[in-house]
Amino acid sequence: MTRDAVARWLPRVRRDGHLALVVAILLLWSLVGSGLASLLLLPAWVITAQLIFAGGLEAARLRRRAWLGQYLRIGSPWHRWLRGGLVMIAWHQLLGILLALLLLVKLRLLSPVYWPLLLVGIAGLALLRCVMRRRLARHVIAEYVPAVTRRLLVWPLGLLLTVSLVLMALWLPQPYLVGLGWEEALMRHVPADGHDSLLGFFERLARVLEVTQYWAMQNATERGELSEGLALVGWLLLFLVQSAFAWAYVRLLLGAETLREATLEALSMKRGKERE
Amino acid sequence: MTTPGESAGLGAPVSPPESRRWGAHGWQPWGLSLLLVVLLMVALAQGYKALQNRSDAPLFRVVVSGETLILDAETHAAFGRELAELTQAAHPRLLQEMQPWIDDRVDASFAPLEAAVPAYLDWYFSLRGSYHRLGVAIVGDLDEWLEAQLSERLIEESGFASALAELQEDFPAQLALTHQALAQDIGRTLHARFADRQAAETSDSADAIHTIDLDLSLSQAFQGQWDTARWGTAGAGAVVGFVTSRVLVQRLASGAAARGARVVAGRIVARLGVHGARSLATGGTATAATAPTGPGALLAGAATTAVALAGFAGTEYALLKAEEGLYRADMAAELEAEVARARAEVKGMLESGTAGSAVVLAQRLEGATRRAEESGGVSERYRIFGGDG
Repeated sequence: MTRDAVARWLPRVRRDGHLALVVAILLLWSLVGSGLASLLLLPAWVITAQLIFAGGLEAARLRRRAWLGQYLRIGSPWHRWLRGGLVMIAWHQLLGILLALLLLVKLRLLSPVYWPLLLVGIAGLALLRCVMRRRLARHVIAEYVPAVTRRLLVWPLGLLLTVSLVLMALWLPQPYLVGLGWEEALMRHVPADGHDSLLGFFERLARVLEVTQYWAMQNATERGELSEGLALVGWLLLFLVQSAFAWAYVRLLLGAETLREATLEALSMKRGKERE
Repeated sequence: MTTPGESAGLGAPVSPPESRRWGAHGWQPWGLSLLLVVLLMVALAQGYKALQNRSDAPLFRVVVSGETLILDAETHAAFGRELAELTQAAHPRLLQEMQPWIDDRVDASFAPLEAAVPAYLDWYFSLRGSYHRLGVAIVGDLDEWLEAQLSERLIEESGFASALAELQEDFPAQLALTHQALAQDIGRTLHARFADRQAAETSDSADAIHTIDLDLSLSQAFQGQWDTARWGTAGAGAVVGFVTSRVLVQRLASGAAARGARVVAGRIVARLGVHGARSLATGGTATAATAPTGPGALLAGAATTAVALAGFAGTEYALLKAEEGLYRADMAAELEAEVARARAEVKGMLESGTAGSAVVLAQRLEGATRRAEESGGVSERYRIFGGDG
């Protein structure tokens, strides 16, 4: 009985275990107390940055290679020179680090109501991936199927997640800030004395952004007149923050896939060498 | 499987060592990430520290207990925490210091009331009192009259009313005195603790010093409480108003024994009958005035009344004595219990008034300090009260 269950679950764990691991890390991160979180900031930051970096770099290399293959002769050494080196790596590392920071700080402030949505996102990713791989297998070169799948998955998943996050943010209750001055709103709703650390500082910063967004959106219509500037600031902040979060989250999940694949490949190569 | 040609369509085949060269695989990118993150964290932490130091560098000049202390930001924060703690501890201390005074004064105020109870009972069960009561029972509203008698004999004549009024006047004054003493004590304690923790004053940063006059804040916080008008609801006014009101009298009059005594009077009235009642109420004179025939009839009318009264006195005197024997002990116990209860209630309300004043004190102190800090330009982080989230 248990052996059956294990046999049934084992392939699934082998296939999606990395996603579960990533979610477990994120969940743990969002649940621990602020003292522990400031200690864990460095490892969490490195891990998330690395995952996002791995996915991003793979996508960039794929894009570059396609572009080069379009124009360069097969034997040209430019293939090697232009395939993406230090600049590309540095750029993607930086991007990964910034996105990871945004993701981690936003996760610290995230209301638990969002978590079902994020979990549904993972389930959607697994499902879409299966469907797309089967569809793509007939048309895409076998070596590139996983990478192309990931490439094609980013946009629909990111968009869906962004839309749901924005809807969720609009649906959730906000502090009432109508008629308050911006500074007063900040005074009231940003915790004045949080944890005195770098993470606490980032959390306060994120909270300031959030309160600013609420304030701008709530105060945009004043005495029946619409203040365009405020409305623009509010909605831009809402869309930018939510889409950046969704983007980082999707990139993180796909990066985990990439890294898992690369690791498996490296392991099988090693084994092959040992056998020789 | 892909043929080499297909693969080359997307680019040159890549050999493993080359792909590893720029850290695309293996542990190198992790190291790079770690390095970058650590660098970024160090830089950001330095920036954060610098920002913090810049915004919190100013010193604080705190006037406390008549002297000026110069504190740096951290010591000032500690100072604020201690002040908050002391204010919190002031609450039980205030109660503790007010307790003996409340006990003494309430006992003293209730002493005349207690002393008046036996005299009242004497009157109640005396011949004169009994007949007076009986008369009122026959002609009018006995309850109302008894209440009037109670408030007149027990509360006003005994001096209880004036004692309560005095208590009402003295309580806020005493409370304010105790507050003042507590405030001075808090100031002295703070001064003693922080006098040797002062920052070395730097003359060139004189502009950056915020002055906070805690003495002024404290005295403002307590000054407001001299104002007895504010005390109307929380303080003694409501208590004394409650006690001298009809409620106490009604409660005194509505005990079981007191009611039993009244029932006896009612029964006597019933036995006298309507005619007797009328004759007693209006006296023989009414009969005489309406009598058609001269002085003889007048005499006859008076005689009828006299006979009725004498007969009543003869038969009912024994009953009244029996009533006294039956009810006096119970009534005395009841009145004393009611007085004790009223005393406990007054005490309780004075105590809750003191507790309420402690809360008001904490709020006022907080408000005054906050105002002082705002005028001193203290940043939100180092606010003495309510800053810690």
